[in-house]
Amino acid sequence: MQLIIKYLIFKPLQLGFLFLTLLVINSCIEQFTPGPSQDRNLLVVEGLITDRPGHDTIKLSTSMPLGAKSSPNPLSGCVITVSDDIGNVYSASEIFAGTYVMNSPFQGVVGRSYILHIKTNETYHNLSYESSPVRMKPVPAIDSLYYKKVVLSQSSDGFPLTEGCEVYLDTHDPENNCRFYRWEFVETWEIKLPYFVTNRVCWVTKNSDQINIKNTTSLSADRIEGFPINYISNVTDRLNLKYSILVNQYSLNQDEYNYWEKLKNNLENVGSLYDIIPSSTPSNIRCVENPSEPVLGYFSVSAVKSKRIFIKDYFPGMPDLYTDCEDAIAGLNDSIASLNSRVWVIIIVTYPPPGYKVLTYLKGCADCTTRGSAIKPDFWEDSK
Amino acid sequence: MKFKSLILILLFILSLNVKAQEKYDISVDLKDLTFKEFVSRAEKLLPVRFFYRDEWVSGLKMGDYSNCTTLSCILDNLFKGTSLHYIIEESGNIVITDKYAVNVSVAPVEKENNFMPPSDYAGSEGSQHTEGTASVDIGNPGEKNKTGNVTISGYIRNKDTQEPVSGVTIFVQKLTVGTISNDYGFYTLTLPRGIHFLQFSFIGMREKKISVSLFGSGELNVEMKSVLIPLKEAVISAQKNVTLQRFEVGAEKINIASFKLLPTSMGESDIIKSVLLIPGVQSVGEGSAGFNVRGGSVDQNLILLYGAPIYNSSHFFGFFSAVNSDIIKDVTLYKGGIPGRYGGRISSVLDIGSKEGNRREFKGNIGVSPITAHVLLEGPIIKDTLTYILTARTTYSNWIFGLIKDPSLQKSKASFYDINGKITYDLDKNNKIDFSVYTSHDSFRFNSDTIYSYNNNIFSLNWRHYFNSRFFSSFSINNSSYNYNISSRYLATEAFVLSHKINSTGLKADFNWFLGRNEINFGLDLTRYAVNPGSYLPYSDSSLVKPHILDKERALETAIFIEDKFQLTDFLSLNIGLRMSSYFSFGPHSVMLYNPEYSKSKSTIIDTLYFKPGALTSKYAGPELRVSLNFRLSDKNSFKINYNRTRQYLHLLTNSTSISPTDTWKLCDYYLKPQIGDQIAAGFYEMLFKNSFEASAELYYKRISNMVDFKGGTHFIMDDNIEKDIVNVRGKAYGLELVLKKTEGKIRYSIGYTYSRTFVKSISNFSEEMINSGKWFPANFDKPNDLVVTLNYIFSRRFSFSANYIWSTGRPITYPVATYHMYDDLLVDYSDRNKYRIPDYSRLDISLNLKGNLRSHRTAHPDWTFSVYNLLGRQNVYSIYFKREGDLYNGYKLSVFGRAIPSVTLSFDF
Repeated sequence: MQLIIKYLIFKPLQLGFLFLTLLVINSCIEQFTPGPSQDRNLLVVEGLITDRPGHDTIKLSTSMPLGAKSSPNPLSGCVITVSDDIGNVYSASEIFAGTYVMNSPFQGVVGRSYILHIKTNETYHNLSYESSPVRMKPVPAIDSLYYKKVVLSQSSDGFPLTEGCEVYLDTHDPENNCRFYRWEFVETWEIKLPYFVTNRVCWVTKNSDQINIKNTTSLSADRIEGFPINYISNVTDRLNLKYSILVNQYSLNQDEYNYWEKLKNNLENVGSLYDIIPSSTPSNIRCVENPSEPVLGYFSVSAVKSKRIFIKDYFPGMPDLYTDCEDAIAGLNDSIASLNSRVWVIIIVTYPPPGYKVLTYLKGCADCTTRGSAIKPDFWEDSK
Repeated sequence: MKFKSLILILLFILSLNVKAQEKYDISVDLKDLTFKEFVSRAEKLLPVRFFYRDEWVSGLKMGDYSNCTTLSCILDNLFKGTSLHYIIEESGNIVITDKYAVNVSVAPVEKENNFMPPSDYAGSEGSQHTEGTASVDIGNPGEKNKTGNVTISGYIRNKDTQEPVSGVTIFVQKLTVGTISNDYGFYTLTLPRGIHFLQFSFIGMREKKISVSLFGSGELNVEMKSVLIPLKEAVISAQKNVTLQRFEVGAEKINIASFKLLPTSMGESDIIKSVLLIPGVQSVGEGSAGFNVRGGSVDQNLILLYGAPIYNSSHFFGFFSAVNSDIIKDVTLYKGGIPGRYGGRISSVLDIGSKEGNRREFKGNIGVSPITAHVLLEGPIIKDTLTYILTARTTYSNWIFGLIKDPSLQKSKASFYDINGKITYDLDKNNKIDFSVYTSHDSFRFNSDTIYSYNNNIFSLNWRHYFNSRFFSSFSINNSSYNYNISSRYLATEAFVLSHKINSTGLKADFNWFLGRNEINFGLDLTRYAVNPGSYLPYSDSSLVKPHILDKERALETAIFIEDKFQLTDFLSLNIGLRMSSYFSFGPHSVMLYNPEYSKSKSTIIDTLYFKPGALTSKYAGPELRVSLNFRLSDKNSFKINYNRTRQYLHLLTNSTSISPTDTWKLCDYYLKPQIGDQIAAGFYEMLFKNSFEASAELYYKRISNMVDFKGGTHFIMDDNIEKDIVNVRGKAYGLELVLKKTEGKIRYSIGYTYSRTFVKSISNFSEEMINSGKWFPANFDKPNDLVVTLNYIFSRRFSFSANYIWSTGRPITYPVATYHMYDDLLVDYSDRNKYRIPDYSRLDISLNLKGNLRSHRTAHPDWTFSVYNLLGRQNVYSIYFKREGDLYNGYKLSVFGRAIPSVTLSFDF
């Protein structure tokens, strides 16, 4: 249904608007800065327990007013427990501010349902919160994960061909049972600096920040083919050397699916003439003392299956992010005396004295750990 | 020589220079000749011509008139004892009239003014009386000493096209009594016996003044001449007194002549856009389909074309009206005071009166504007009996798409067309039949793999029968349907076709009975609905799409209505109407039963009720009372008060601020109850400065129950059990509408200001089904302040200038108030619904109309219109939205028309 919705509501109606734009009816979009909005420090729960052993995490934070650049606002000192439908209670420990990890030997079991309990301390009014019971549904394995090149522009008039990459996923549930899916992915790619420095090769890791969901209720078979999981544009250097993506496939129940769908609609269907009126997305967690208090976030209980692929291919038109390094060589022949500690010495020359030459003033061009880790990840396969 | 409907054209001729002086001597043996034989003989012998109706003289036999030597002596004898009268003009025309005599008096002063063309009534009252004035006797002059009231009635027709003219004001200034002609062009007026001066006026028509000597009840048929452009002041003043006379609070009639003068947005005269200039009518924003009347939602407007409802009133997502303005004769909008004969929608009725084909000659018009081209053809098939009118309009935007370099858009297409046709046949004097067809189509192709199309279709057959001059009937049967289809082949395994359709067949019998001081309207209204809520089918064999067809909905809406317009005294009139409507929906249908302790959702279904085919799944019925009182306080002002109840048995499901073509219609069912509207309104109307200004103030309060809203973030498409995603909502609205109009002179203007509020409130026991915790909140189209100024300046017969200016408060909007992090994602939490507002709206449009040539012998009359929409180039905000960019949510203002849009329209009459 997701696809229909995407095409039904979003594209055509935007086209109506686009059409008029093209007829020089010049619609126009301008920046808008809202006035100061009221402070709303609502509890935000990011909770996911899976059937994979160890390290299921529940993160608590509070919301921030819209506007300024924001970093998470963790809520520490709370007591978190998870109970199941056969009377077990599991506890969690706060490993750092706002992040609570389920104590071993907790491991979710497919078919069992779980309730999350939160008790806040005095910094958050000593309140108790409780989720509705969520049953863990089984999830099928990812059948395949593959990519296709996307032609972004044909070569013409001296402009070369440029290509992007779309990663697709196929899955199916022979039992026709799962029906509601969510995916998260982790991207890792190799980067290499143009200079022979100590930290020359690194691996950058990034978690997905988009909502990927799909249901197959409108299909006769619980089968998904060619679900576009991630698009890699030609403005990043992800595909320059070697790239890897790990996809986690989660089973959802319909309530959770609806939650993500609303969240997604609110985020994406904006800026057209027929925007769906946005609204708060109600959580499955409520405050025991004050049930009308809004809570943000969701307590998810999902079975998970994963798959990883590597991409090492030639994509024309990929950018070299290190061309700016050369631009910074204005003072190529500067003596070392004029350098300070924030400047990076790159090569040793014999002349002029003192025998050092500045190749770049940018740290990122001299030390790849500014972007990633110089330690090769365990899963990284050099051969492929 | 016969002249089918002669009567009042004569008065023009007569007003020139006529003397009732005998000069025709005749001495022939006429005994036992029929009247016709007599006429042909007389016309041979004498330079005279007779004008009469065959049926008046069919029984006449000539007697022995040997003692007569003059024609008038013969006629005097012949007509003795009949109701016939005659007049002999100086030119030799002998006009025979039935039931009344024509006297012609020539005022002596008039000679000096005779250089004025007779058809040009000058504007001021004074010069009016210096014109030769025709007077008409009605009734038997022998009864002139009797007292008491008598009734005068008749038909008003357009002289050129012979179409009945509705909405004409017939007014007796001295008595401040008047009436308005009905849809058949019929009027009736009760007056005391004596001499009265009747004014017939209507916008776009030359005003007519007739002196009537009223001895008894009788008929007076009038032909009015339309004016090419409403230039003459007499015309401009036409609508005065109308507001004082009408019963309804909040009824507005727009004539096509004045509507064509309004500035256009893209070179197209647009009926919905001009409706938006009426106080109390608002829309969400530019490019939004439909309109909101006094706090009602878009689906609460009954838009009638050929008597049938139109389900989607726009092309191109609201940028154009779906009805071509070429076929519109006039438009009446009832914001309140909805007559009993209308029903099925609760907020307003927009009745589009359509043109009939020209009865005398073939005519045509073609026109082009930047986006569309249109053509109109009309004329008689059998002169004065069988006529046709045909119009078509299309856009050439596909051609424009082809010019765009972007490869993805080259494959995109967008187009629309609409066709209207009407045939009118006069079986005889008392029976008229017309058949009308309307079809509109929009199609839309995005990037060659997703195709949208939507269509309106209307057929309407209408039979009008006149039992006698006091009792008419109209029977009509119509079918209206709307459907859309969306198909996508983007992915072979998921290629689909999605469609939705509503089809309604209506049967209506409507009777009008004029009984002295009463005007009674009664009838029957039946509508059968069939809705295909949605079907979702695989596009081809390779598609895995599971065919999914939602249960078809079938229902019957019935109503009987009776209404009486009753003149209690000369100062007080009452209009009381009752409409009894009922609704029945039928199976086969499955109804989910939910655990009443929880909010309805898939997980709270406890049982399923199955209704067999034809079984009654729901029934609703109720009375709808419509009452208006009109107090005429003096001849310059009146006060009206009105109460209305309306019921509506279908809903348009929408979850965006502005309705879209893919919204679906839903009939009332087991869960969905009919929408009920109650409105109470009061108005005060005053004519100022010798009737050259018209001022009005209307106040209303309205309550609506059982409206539908959605739970938030949900889609209605292909939803099996819509009841679990909707919220029952109640609405209230109130407002004050102030209007000042200058209706005379070369410069005319109107200023309308509205203060209005509209609130809605969700009704439920469950927090999931509540919006803003069940508190009242402003509706999407709640714009408290609204100012509309329109100006018309007519330089000359060939040039006219018009402008309008609109200012209103920005509409309410929901936007984010907080951000939070989850799974490395930055998300936003939204404010309560409609807590904020977008900036105020302001727009100025102008247009200049230029008639290329007014000479009648030219074969084509070009007509140029230059328009600038949004002259000030103001970037009116349509919506505000927030998009994530990196670690920030940035707000953006979207304006639909970011600058001034000029357009040129050229059309030719031929």
